[in-house]
Amino acid sequence: MGRLTRSHLIEAVIFALIIAIFYGFSFQFNQPIEIYRFGATAWPRVVLLLLLIATLGNLWFQHKHGSATQGTIGQSDDEADFSEPGTIPRMVAVLLTPFVFAWLLKPVGIYFSAPFFIAAIIWLFGERRWKAILLMTVLIYVIFIGLFLVILNAPLPQGNVSPFYDFSAWILTLNAKLQGL
Amino acid sequence: MIENFIAGTTALFGDPFTIGIFVFGVIGGMLFGAIPGVSMLTLAAILLPFTAGLEPAQGVMLFAVIYCTGTYGGAITAILFNIPGSPENAPTAFDGYPMTQKGQSGKAVGAAVLCSAIGGVASALVMMAATEPLANWAIRNIGPPEIFALVFFGLAVASSVGARTIWKGWMSVLIGLLIATIGQDPVGGINRYNFGLTDLAAGIAFVPAILGFFAVSEIFVQAEKTASGKYKAPKVSMTFPSFLELWMHKIAVLRSIIVGFLCGILPGIGATLAAFMSYGEAVRWSKNKDEFGKGKMEGVISAETANNAATGAAMIPLLALGLPGGALTAMMVAVFQMHDLQPGPLVFMLSPDLIWIVFAAMFYANLSILLIGLLETKTILNLLKIPFQFLAPLILMLATTGAYISRGLVLDVMVMFLAGILGYLLRRSGFSIPGIVLGLILGKIGEQNFAQGMQMVHYDLATYFSRPICSILILAGVLTLGSSIYRAFATAK
Repeated sequence: MGRLTRSHLIEAVIFALIIAIFYGFSFQFNQPIEIYRFGATAWPRVVLLLLLIATLGNLWFQHKHGSATQGTIGQSDDEADFSEPGTIPRMVAVLLTPFVFAWLLKPVGIYFSAPFFIAAIIWLFGERRWKAILLMTVLIYVIFIGLFLVILNAPLPQGNVSPFYDFSAWILTLNAKLQGL
Repeated sequence: MIENFIAGTTALFGDPFTIGIFVFGVIGGMLFGAIPGVSMLTLAAILLPFTAGLEPAQGVMLFAVIYCTGTYGGAITAILFNIPGSPENAPTAFDGYPMTQKGQSGKAVGAAVLCSAIGGVASALVMMAATEPLANWAIRNIGPPEIFALVFFGLAVASSVGARTIWKGWMSVLIGLLIATIGQDPVGGINRYNFGLTDLAAGIAFVPAILGFFAVSEIFVQAEKTASGKYKAPKVSMTFPSFLELWMHKIAVLRSIIVGFLCGILPGIGATLAAFMSYGEAVRWSKNKDEFGKGKMEGVISAETANNAATGAAMIPLLALGLPGGALTAMMVAVFQMHDLQPGPLVFMLSPDLIWIVFAAMFYANLSILLIGLLETKTILNLLKIPFQFLAPLILMLATTGAYISRGLVLDVMVMFLAGILGYLLRRSGFSIPGIVLGLILGKIGEQNFAQGMQMVHYDLATYFSRPICSILILAGVLTLGSSIYRAFATAK
């Protein structure tokens, strides 16, 4: 095993799976192109081959040196720290909340879902004073509406389910009246 | 040239409405560049439909000004929050963010302001003097093989920066290249890896991917640090670099102007590669290589001078050949087309007024970076005083809007958050996010130019590499790769 740890092996397996999956899917578009001898698959397959070589090289390096750093240039992050109890559930919530918000954009629209999303993120970042959460939620919502709706008139998702769609329509009507003043 | 420049200046400042558009572009570009979560591309995407109501010169000038000031603005977020406003600011974060952590944010921002202005002004001057001869030279000497060779060189440089090991650097670049294969292939238009989703046929859009990899992943990293009690608020410092400190880097500035201009002139490459190459060159020429990435001012100076030097150069292929060098210059083509104009050699003959208003506006926009940049820096530095639990939702809301606006697809918001999670996990495992983004940006360009080059030489590699510029660039890429591998083996600890 050398200096290999379980996380090194998991990392290598994930990359091997990605390579295998992408290679498998490359047969779906393995058609000749009349004007180009190498076809549509050559480039992705060369990339996959190089990725496989780099993954094996990485595994070999980790086998020899563990998680040591090499002489690369530039900033690289420190390692993740999940030693504090409650860090993992909180991180899972932080990672999932934006997805729930993105999933709600189509049916609910951004105007209705945004305040709940803002408040949730503030809470997940450790703020527990409800007055501060409320005040900052309103402030950020006002900045967002003011910049993108009132000043820039940007088209944003309005939702397609009642009563959320009606709420968005009400906000847009308010904005139209404001613009007319 | 001087008469044309004076005529352009008179046309620019002779009409109050045009002045208003110029000022809006300067301030808008800087603000959108400097607000974490959105970028100059967000502003440009929002403004694109409105340019139909402007004169052609006003519309193109507005985008040119946003390009100059937005490129500088993106450095602010890179330095203060480790969130580059756009990919060309990614190398700025390598040393800019460590400087902020060391309490030298004022020095880093001050250096970025001054060097962005110097790079931009120098580039604008060369652009005015040399657009026509340079365009003629590029037409004769730069073809698909040379562009592919430059992409290879750029990726070789990118693989050696930002990751924990050289292997992870290469894996990062290759992940970016793999993501870039999603969507239609650039030669035959065959759908690849779209997994049955029609929206993916056009590929992964740059804006959501970039926002996800840079902005959202940084939010997740900070969330983890908050949860584990390791979060440290960055220190605010208002100390600007002294004249002597900046004068000591005059060679780096000059070298970065040359690198930035030469990269910027090549269609499809743009300012991003310029910044990476300039940073790589700064390291290569430095006697203290180990200090890079730990808060060395020369890193900020090299990246910021080069990316702004590329802005003027990027206008050369756009105006002379009709070839955009990046996302924003591609939007400029749309502005031209909205007014029934086609950028290319004919524009110089048919609309010289337009060309010189744009040139003059870019010159003054870069000067404005110096004036307004220094004035606004102290205000912007105060952003660091906002507790991160309140800044995070604001950044996420702005990023969500920025991702959605460019194509009006909720899928892009999903892609952004997915890129954010992927970026977070990869960063915590020592991979390089700038490497992934550069691979993503250059992947399609590289593949397209490789295919075109092979077709040109009838698949004969000997002919391919007998082209002098192509062979020099490939050799430079191989040497860069070889030296980084040697350094990696020599310094493994």
